[in-house]
Amino acid sequence: MSAVMADCMADKRVRVWDPLVRLFHWSLALSVIVAWATSEGWRASHEAAGYVVAALVSARVAWGFVGSRYARFGQFVQPPAIVARYLKAIASGGERRYLGHNPAGAAMIVALLAGIGATAVTGWLLTTDAFWGSKPMELVHSLFGNGIVALACLHVAGVALASWRHRENLVRAMVTGLKRAPGPADVA
Amino acid sequence: MKTGTKIRASLVAVLAVAAASPAVAEGKCSTAPRSNWQPKEALQQRLEEGGYRVRQIKVEGGCYEVYAFDKNGARANMAYNAETLEKLADPEAGEK
Repeated sequence: MSAVMADCMADKRVRVWDPLVRLFHWSLALSVIVAWATSEGWRASHEAAGYVVAALVSARVAWGFVGSRYARFGQFVQPPAIVARYLKAIASGGERRYLGHNPAGAAMIVALLAGIGATAVTGWLLTTDAFWGSKPMELVHSLFGNGIVALACLHVAGVALASWRHRENLVRAMVTGLKRAPGPADVA
Repeated sequence: MKTGTKIRASLVAVLAVAAASPAVAEGKCSTAPRSNWQPKEALQQRLEEGGYRVRQIKVEGGCYEVYAFDKNGARANMAYNAETLEKLADPEAGEK
């Protein structure tokens, strides 16, 4: 869409992200940062952050089935072929704007939820008798932990790229829940 | 990983996640070279004689950090100065 058209429609905003999605997003971001920052030598805080993370991920997965339209997995999760095609479109600069999550963002959400969930579960296992002091489980936990740090960096880069390409501040949208109304070429 | 640890340490300070720091832990990890350390096995043997079942002994800084079960089968996490094998008050002393 042209910049002129975008300007014309700048005033028209629609509600996309419901309050739970937004609260979840920022709470999870903060909890993961706290868990990462306390991963060496601050066990009490690290474990507390881990339990908060587990509760948030569980709530979000449930909300993905019963939540508002753009919160549902069924609305945004796409098969790998569609994700690959969308990534190619990004590379060639012609990807469509999605009102909800675009296919690449959706794949990132699935990867982050799975990775963060796995990190929380393996971390909890390390506090059980069965895996107390287990080196292999420590390794798995730290691999997942480092994996989600890498994914989170990619996630932020993807948000920045999509914000720039479609001329809208997606970080602000995740705060207010509002996005520019879809144009004729957009996917709503 | 050293940089990561530093970033983490400063983040901890910034976020002030750890509420008012607990009373300064008694004892410190060793600052002596490794050649002055007592072997891990000496610590393990001493713990086993005390009724512990040892799962893992990690080197953390100048400390040995132990993951074990005590004689009642409860999980135990302790840190020892690697040079003197003195037990420290903070089991995570070596990670800080």
